[in-house]
Amino acid sequence: MKNCDALVIGGSAGSLDVLLKVLPEIDLSINFPIIIVLHRKPGTDSLLTDLLKSRTKLTVKEVEEKESINDSTIYIAPSDYHLLIEKNHTFSLDNSEKVNYSRPAIDVVFQSAAEIYQEKLVCFLLSGSNDDGVMGLKVVKLSGGIAVIQNPKSAAVPYMPAQAELNVEIDEVLEINEMANYINQLSR
Amino acid sequence: MIKMQNGKKILIFDDNEELLELCTIILEDMGCQIHTSTTTNNVEQQVTEYGPDLIFMDNWLPDVSGVEATQQIKANIDLKHIPVIYFSANNNVEELASEAGADDFLAKPFDISAMENIVRKYA
Repeated sequence: MKNCDALVIGGSAGSLDVLLKVLPEIDLSINFPIIIVLHRKPGTDSLLTDLLKSRTKLTVKEVEEKESINDSTIYIAPSDYHLLIEKNHTFSLDNSEKVNYSRPAIDVVFQSAAEIYQEKLVCFLLSGSNDDGVMGLKVVKLSGGIAVIQNPKSAAVPYMPAQAELNVEIDEVLEINEMANYINQLSR
Repeated sequence: MIKMQNGKKILIFDDNEELLELCTIILEDMGCQIHTSTTTNNVEQQVTEYGPDLIFMDNWLPDVSGVEATQQIKANIDLKHIPVIYFSANNNVEELASEAGADDFLAKPFDISAMENIVRKYA
């Protein structure tokens, strides 16, 4: 039985570089979806998706409203919407108020994913300059899921993973070059 | 990835730092050297100091507008030969590019291949 039904990766400033290094090393045989939520302003969505596509042969797509969530696919949260996961394993996009000054907010998607995937959820929190995602990681842990952070000591912007390390019982603290291997073994 | 534009120097003016980060990665993938600026203050001095082969100019910038900054570059005898690509999300980007005296335009949002094609054409 596989260990992971979904991997959610949240990040802010300094995270794009991490993704560009990790994505090419992810096995094409992964048997779960990867959902990526980055803080960003509107206007760069297609360019970001394009750029991530250029780094992997896995399917990379920006999430569409009511879309079914498929394994072996990398989903990018669009800017300016909160991303929610529904019980029937579809996405929904919500334009309610910003959370932690952010939309999409990492807390929102971590909490929503925790409710659906419970102990079969793995969440990564990467480099960033605010504490969005920390509360969400707490919920992930309470639901039995796994909380992973980028090592704050080597993150481009340490604050976000450092706050998680201070406030949440973290399962793994990873360097960039350890992440792909960690993700690949989740399929087994 | 084939590096087509080894060492070409590109200067990008835009106040959207996320766009600057993405454009930098895309153009570095092509083998270009990139310098970015979020201000058009002293635009002629900035262009002179970096000495780019190609300039991308956003329309809306908080200091001097993209149109005005491009006009300054094109009025400078030492800089006017440098191609300026005007980029904007405005519907009338082509009109703005023409008013500014830019060499070409790129409508936002654009995809990677559109940016690569324009760099291959001008740099």
